[in-house]
Amino acid sequence: MTGGSTIRPQFSRRGFLTVGACGFGLSLGDFLKMKARADLKTYAPIVAKADSVIHIFLPGGIAHQETFDPKPYAPVEYRGEIGSIPTKIEGEFFSQLLPQTAQIADKITVIRSMTHGEAAHERGTHNMFTGYRPSPALQYPSMGSVVAHEYGPKNNLPPYVAVPSIPNVYAGTGYLSSSYSPFSLGADPASGNFRVQDLALPGGIDDSRFATRRHVLDAVNDHFAKKEKGDGLAAMDTFYERAYSLISSQKAREAFNIDAEPAAIRDEYGRNAAGQRMLMARRLVGAGVRFVALQYGSWDMHVGIANGMRQQMPPFDQAYAALIRDLDRTGQLDRTLVMVSSEFGRTPKINKDAGRDHWPKVFSVVLAGGGVKKGFVFGASNATATEPDREPIGPEDLATTIYHQLGIVADKELMAPGDRPIEIVDGGKVRTELLA
Amino acid sequence: MTQVRLQLALMLACSWIGAVSASEPAPVTGLLELAVYPADINLTTSRDRQSIAVQAIYTDGITRDVTSQATYTHANPGLVKQTGATLTPVADGDTVMTVAFGDKTQAVPIKVGQATTALPLSFRLDIMPVFMRAGCNTGSCHGAARGKDGFRLSLFGFDPEGDHHRLTREMPGRRINLAIPPDSTLIEKSIGTVPHTGGKRFESESELNSTLIQWIEAGAANDDVTKLPKVVGVELFPKKGVLDGKDATQQMTVRAKYSDGSDRDVTSLAVFLTNNDTSAAITPEGLVTAGARGEAFVMARFETYTVGSQFIVLPKALKFEYPAEPDANYVDTLVASKLKKLRISPSALCTDEVFLRRAYLDVVGTPPTIDEYTSFMASTSPAKRSELINELLERKEFSEIWVNKWAEILQVRSSQTISYKAMFLYYNWLVEKLSKNMPMDQMVQELLGANGGTFKNPATNFYQATNDTLALTENVAQVFMGMRVQCAQCHNHPFDRWTQDDYYGFAAFFSQIGRKTGEDYRETIVFNSGGGEVKHPVGGRDMAPKFLGGATPDVAGKDRRVILSKWLASKENPWFATSFANRVWAHFFGVGIVEPVDDFRVSNPSSNPELVEELGKRFTNSNYDLKSLVRDICNSNTYQRSTQRNDSNTTDERNFAHANLRRIKAENLLDTISSITETKDKFQGLPLGARAVQIADGGSSTYFLTTFGRATRETVCSCEVKMEPTLSQALHLLNGDTVNAKIKQGGLIPKLMTQAKYPEERLTNLYLRCVGRKPTATELEKLMPGFVPGADQAQALEDVFWALLNSREMLFNH
Repeated sequence: MTGGSTIRPQFSRRGFLTVGACGFGLSLGDFLKMKARADLKTYAPIVAKADSVIHIFLPGGIAHQETFDPKPYAPVEYRGEIGSIPTKIEGEFFSQLLPQTAQIADKITVIRSMTHGEAAHERGTHNMFTGYRPSPALQYPSMGSVVAHEYGPKNNLPPYVAVPSIPNVYAGTGYLSSSYSPFSLGADPASGNFRVQDLALPGGIDDSRFATRRHVLDAVNDHFAKKEKGDGLAAMDTFYERAYSLISSQKAREAFNIDAEPAAIRDEYGRNAAGQRMLMARRLVGAGVRFVALQYGSWDMHVGIANGMRQQMPPFDQAYAALIRDLDRTGQLDRTLVMVSSEFGRTPKINKDAGRDHWPKVFSVVLAGGGVKKGFVFGASNATATEPDREPIGPEDLATTIYHQLGIVADKELMAPGDRPIEIVDGGKVRTELLA
Repeated sequence: MTQVRLQLALMLACSWIGAVSASEPAPVTGLLELAVYPADINLTTSRDRQSIAVQAIYTDGITRDVTSQATYTHANPGLVKQTGATLTPVADGDTVMTVAFGDKTQAVPIKVGQATTALPLSFRLDIMPVFMRAGCNTGSCHGAARGKDGFRLSLFGFDPEGDHHRLTREMPGRRINLAIPPDSTLIEKSIGTVPHTGGKRFESESELNSTLIQWIEAGAANDDVTKLPKVVGVELFPKKGVLDGKDATQQMTVRAKYSDGSDRDVTSLAVFLTNNDTSAAITPEGLVTAGARGEAFVMARFETYTVGSQFIVLPKALKFEYPAEPDANYVDTLVASKLKKLRISPSALCTDEVFLRRAYLDVVGTPPTIDEYTSFMASTSPAKRSELINELLERKEFSEIWVNKWAEILQVRSSQTISYKAMFLYYNWLVEKLSKNMPMDQMVQELLGANGGTFKNPATNFYQATNDTLALTENVAQVFMGMRVQCAQCHNHPFDRWTQDDYYGFAAFFSQIGRKTGEDYRETIVFNSGGGEVKHPVGGRDMAPKFLGGATPDVAGKDRRVILSKWLASKENPWFATSFANRVWAHFFGVGIVEPVDDFRVSNPSSNPELVEELGKRFTNSNYDLKSLVRDICNSNTYQRSTQRNDSNTTDERNFAHANLRRIKAENLLDTISSITETKDKFQGLPLGARAVQIADGGSSTYFLTTFGRATRETVCSCEVKMEPTLSQALHLLNGDTVNAKIKQGGLIPKLMTQAKYPEERLTNLYLRCVGRKPTATELEKLMPGFVPGADQAQALEDVFWALLNSREMLFNH
């Protein structure tokens, strides 16, 4: 600041409390970052091992027993009626419903000792999306929003995209500005007439008509732009520019065009919700999206878990195996971290309705690519899949490790309302055992 | 050792030089007053002392620190010893110190008692403040819930008993070593003689360290709490300052008052903070140094108290004259009084056109129609603006805006457990109360004291939003008092006055709410269960109901909520009217006098305390009449200013020297677009043509409303309404079905093609609809090429309509 007639003090680390602060002349980044400054602690930058994350979330709480942690030697009331099959990892078994995934097991890391204490859907989901237990005083931002906050857009694409839609409220921005919220496709890539919400020009408006309209809009905006100044105005202008870039960049728009995939690839992933969503996720991260939050299925199987699994698992198996193979084939796997998670696992014993209930004490999470080990099983549950047998890992460690792979120090503090510095993740450790 | 001493000596010398060079001799002319702080001095016991600050106040409003330039004369020099600006006791008795500077003098009475008595150090009074001052018990250090590196202190010292235990008993002999006090880990870590993640906190020669060592030498005793005085208040001096140019300084002094009537200089134990480092930085010793022009709130924290002083920094020797302009009402007087202090001139009044659109959008939530525009512009009445305000206030759309706001903070939202019917009735109850302009105290008393079925007495729905006593406590404080007390659930509020005692005492009002299902399973009956207590988390004692910042009423045998409602929604509660008046203000200016509007807190100072208080007072005196409050605000020049800034107010954002650009809120924006395009919307549960602002249930929304940040009503926070732009918003306006489909549905383009003959006329119609003004000559010049003969006139017109609906001028109220 150079004295003179200005009365705007610069934003300092306590910029938050500043009365009379926030004049104009700030870039959009400044404007948005005012709400979340992170300079209370300083860190040496770390080198990112991954450019992007695909978070495949299986809502409802998927049973670990019927997926990645079967217990073939446990009594039938524990192991359930679904059998198990060997995998590409010597001596390790997956559910028999994951035959294709078993064949790519040598490319992934299975965490069998995930644990937290929240048995309610919303609380468990909160844990897995934010790395925090829910708090009465504060809404925490999701991993995707933090990544959007830390990195911003690339190649004209939004940094954080939800496929097909924002999966739950915890996938949002928490105390960060809503400008970091996920961009939602608003439609399912598996549906025949799939179109991203508002991405294409409306019917009857071709490129030249749109160019005319932009020209007219510039003429209409000019009067106001010359006269008025304000942070909100500048921010709105920036998002219009981003929208123009997205609409007019053939390359960026092409990222959303799933029809451009060869039929063979679309078939390999499976022409269903799981397959086409994962394929879309691969297209997006390939084009420059930083974080894709994808959800598939409904796994809250209190009743008849065997049948439920038989219906929903095969498409996942096919799609997930295809995704890993595809990323591996194209060389993207090394820079793309794929995480499969759920809010919790399910009870050790089959209940009276042939289902399983909520069980957060131990469950499985699967990581692949982005610098994690290949063909590795981390931790273990005990003989009845009731609790971690060794190497328990909580949501804070998982989130910290994922941030670390993206080059983000999770101990860094962001500024929450009320001048309250909050770590991106509190007290998490980078679990180097998971890393290659 | 010698080396250390030498370094210390050098440091002292440097700071002394710094102080001298910063304060060149202050002028001795133009003095208005000499202020000496504190105004009376009490020195009790041998360890006591008092530092003084002398502030010269000049006729031009500037203040200067003349502590080192003033002369001091003691009537009885034998009683006290003066070293620099610090007094220490010598012998008992009363005396007077006369401070003189220029042609002004000030007498300060001094009392000295027990001058030779040395009291033992107390853990709570002497040691706990050391942890706060040195930053040991902050959230990122040992104050974290799990402590740090194996040692925990309670956050900001909310649990001294526990802290004493952890220091002396958790690892006996380690943290405190009674045999060799300097070998205590507590000491070694603090002075950095052993590795410490938090680094060296203070010097081994420092007073903080010698206090700790003396306490350990004396046996590291705990206190007898029954005999111990408590801190009852903290004062920070001077109370305000107007600094003349960069590098001007002011030394602060802090005094704590105790329940036994004694006081103590705690300048060396307080933690100093500033909310604006750039304008007024403050050192750990309490020296304020002026920086860039601006305003800052300098704070001192001691024990559970945070107190602040306002500082204004002006460019050196600034010449300024406030424009002569008659005030429309008290709002202008109070705003001007602040602006004069800051040497800021307000912007001119806005044009009638701008005022018309602004007032419509703010008061009734839609823009003026072309007919309304024409008649207002044609009116020659000198009072036409206030006439318009009166007319708009009588429309039902006015109360709908406030019903909508109330529905947001009262969380009118159906869910799996809360039926739509109950919420519909609740919403209609609000409509009923607000459309009849029911005084707000009555309305809130009905809500808080409500008993009965959620269908029969919809006010009881207030208690459906949450079944959690603590969440309810926090919501009541936030909604009706504008305070966020959440922090105090787990620890004393670090930046406010609220302690856990206050929090749980307030929560006790909500501990006896009975709820049961009615005959209709969708209905809940709320009643006074007459039993149930709230326990303090430290120690587990039952808490007696105590008003937040108020008295402890007699609640025996009564409905606690009814007692609370009579206090909360009344004159007795100073925050009720002011916090609501501040919400109303924020609606019209886009920013509260206190901002966020539901975060009144010592460390979040009001930008104009006199104004917010006066608004609250007037609101109270008008019998809580919303319309009269809105009328006062809208009739002020302050509200009617232009958004065009001048040289002096160009960077001001919080003092209302100019109008602000405000993006229109989701519901109002959709209604505005529908009104402009003459289209009707269909919302769930409402007839075709209903407006978005009328949607009763927070649970039902549309893509447009969600994208533009409509409150989900999942919390009471004012931050629920999102105004930040997003990519989805821009894409939706450009390509989405709101603008494009509405242009077609409304059929305005074909209508204009037949009704208006010339392109200019058609353009004027669209401009008036969308932005409330006619196109300028430049705009016509730019747009007319699209309307050359032979061009598709309707299509070109449609493109302009689309552009206007996408224009920032339409999206923002200005």
